[in-house]
Amino acid sequence: MDKELIQQIRDKARNLLKEGTVEGVIGYERASDDLTSRPLFAYSPSDTERLIFDETCAHNLVKYLLDKKGKKIAVVVKPCDSRAINLLLNEGQIERDNVFIIGVGCPGMVETNWNHKSETLQAKCRTCQLFKPVVYDFLAGGEIERQAEEETYSDITEEEAKSVATRREFWLEQFGRCIRCYACRQVCPGCYCPVCFAERLDPLWVGIRIAPEENDMWQTIRSFHLAGRCIGCNECERVCPVDIPLSLLNRKLEKDVKELFAFQAGLDPEEAPPFATFKKEEVMEFEK
Amino acid sequence: MKSAYEPKVIGFLCNWCSYAGADMAGTSRMRYPQNIRIIRVPCSGRVDPLFVVKCFQRGADGVLVSGCHPGDCHYTEGNYYTRRRFALLREFLDYLGIAKERLRVEWVSASEGQKFAELLSDFTAELAGLGPRSKI
Amino acid sequence: MNLFASKDDVIRWLGELLKEHVVIAPVRVQEQTTFQPISQVEDVVFDFNNTALSPKGWFLPPTETLFSVQRDDGKVELVPTKVERDAVIFGLHPCDARGIALMDSPFLQEPSDALYRERRSRTALIGLACRQAQPECFCTSMGSAPDDPSNVDILLTEGEDGYIVQAVTEKGKALLPKGLAEYKGKVPAPPKLEAVPTKEVVSAMRELFNDPYWEQVADRCLHCNICAYVCPTCYCFDMRDYADKGKVERVRSWESCQSPGFSLTAGGYDPRTTKGERLRQRFCHKLLYFPEQFQDVACVGCGRCVRDCPVNIDIREVISNLKQVTEAKSGS
Repeated sequence: MDKELIQQIRDKARNLLKEGTVEGVIGYERASDDLTSRPLFAYSPSDTERLIFDETCAHNLVKYLLDKKGKKIAVVVKPCDSRAINLLLNEGQIERDNVFIIGVGCPGMVETNWNHKSETLQAKCRTCQLFKPVVYDFLAGGEIERQAEEETYSDITEEEAKSVATRREFWLEQFGRCIRCYACRQVCPGCYCPVCFAERLDPLWVGIRIAPEENDMWQTIRSFHLAGRCIGCNECERVCPVDIPLSLLNRKLEKDVKELFAFQAGLDPEEAPPFATFKKEEVMEFEK
Repeated sequence: MKSAYEPKVIGFLCNWCSYAGADMAGTSRMRYPQNIRIIRVPCSGRVDPLFVVKCFQRGADGVLVSGCHPGDCHYTEGNYYTRRRFALLREFLDYLGIAKERLRVEWVSASEGQKFAELLSDFTAELAGLGPRSKI
Repeated sequence: MNLFASKDDVIRWLGELLKEHVVIAPVRVQEQTTFQPISQVEDVVFDFNNTALSPKGWFLPPTETLFSVQRDDGKVELVPTKVERDAVIFGLHPCDARGIALMDSPFLQEPSDALYRERRSRTALIGLACRQAQPECFCTSMGSAPDDPSNVDILLTEGEDGYIVQAVTEKGKALLPKGLAEYKGKVPAPPKLEAVPTKEVVSAMRELFNDPYWEQVADRCLHCNICAYVCPTCYCFDMRDYADKGKVERVRSWESCQSPGFSLTAGGYDPRTTKGERLRQRFCHKLLYFPEQFQDVACVGCGRCVRDCPVNIDIREVISNLKQVTEAKSGS
């Protein structure tokens, strides 16, 4: 644990609350296992003593800004999480003036479960090229220097090389395990529809059956709704209680969106997302 | 004798061009396979990827999304959005194990009755070649 | 009288059971252990911590068709779902067995749930005592124990070179293989667990209903359904009729009080709109409504929700916090 960094976060949070700049600070605190971490909502200066930051702080706290609309809130963000802020700004979900962003440089997060902490970096962190948040008001701990592997999408291209039938089998097996707890949706900063298509009754797009065909519908549309919007925090995969490899879906779309539309979500709060714009002269594969 | 496999096709046709194109094929008495069930939409841009995925989930063998040629959209630019959306969806469905050949996106104008008829013959033949989709 | 079975005896016995029964046992799926009907005894895992999902799914499946209505030649026929075979759940821990006993209260109370009743009466439970406790375990604070035989038909306890077999019910005795020797040795002591102040909090729950604590703890809740779906005692469900080509099916699926549409009523009114209200419902059902209705706390202390909650809403901590809130109230 970087004590210096944590002290900076605590000091900043305490001052923001004392001065009344914000109503609350969303950060991390130690979890009940005394090993990993969990989100902390600090509303009084004394709460800020519980704030921590280390390699177990995987949660993307930007999601909670959607619960606190209209309030002035400070939030601790890692570089990947900061892209979610740009996404929400881009989509008009939050106001920049209402958010005070306490950025932290990221050494990479390790794989954790309750009461378990591994030494291994999360897969997304091994290839992450962002060491500093893309947007922040205060950067705690200064910039971090580290080496990361290049994102090659090797697991995706491996999937692509398989036959359509093999892939169908693979995904039905994966989706067959889904228990439709919707944790993937609930944790996602890009999922904020007032009524999710999965909850609409008329027309009924996805039924209540927890069965492969309906799970397939749910997962297909859920991930496609995030095409060009997923910022790659990979929280959906992390929280999945039945370990469905959701990053294989999200990163496939990320890769295709990059190739087809030269776009990456959450890097620029002003740039039009790929499905809200077009180029008249572009030619798609099916037109050739 | 078992009857030959007849693929089920759902077609989303835009009101201004492709639906009129299909009409043209009909009124001109052109022959084309009867495998398609047509759903008329105001613009190909109205077609939510959700509709297409739902068609496949409910047992369609192929889906056709058809609208005005780029530049000719009745609403000026609806079909440019269609183009982007379904270019990505085709890749994604393929990745999930629904061959991209099963989702066709075609530009058919009101005067292209011939094109519509030929396109359907071609599409139906291609789907027949692919065979029924594996049941879940 | 306790009997003794070597591991080979147990495997042979399972093979015998498999001939006449559906055998549901813990198996490895990907990185997880979970209860599933097995096709071969080799798949059974004997050494596991609490499974990913509890075995409640055998009695209340994630999804099932309750009945279907078919129209044939102008005749309309209602076809109920049949339970085809007798079943044995093998290897469930005492906490999971208590979970099933608790589900009996709402489901077997008249008018009872036909499918549940049928499956329950045709299923035998072979429990496996816990020799090790996980850090998330707290069954002793919830009316059970790592070696509690009260809710199973047969209880196995791992001893040296095999299992100590205790037939608890007549149903269990009938299932035992013949020729097992008597076991005269000691039964190994169960692991010790930390205590949670359940009793104090249950008696104070009514007064805690309007406490601001709920909104505080719900701040970090994501309102996914993980806690409810991994819980051995959560039994809420949703139903829907599926109509397709002359056939209607009534389908029942798991649902949870945490999901956004759960308490939405016709006309659009939702009595539980805030995060705190929704989270409070979970704890009030477990610690207040269920005890008032059925005299038991609707938690068995298996620790699955503690283990799987993505934001660490730890029921033991919630109970401890509620105790502090109560004490602060009565103190002031």
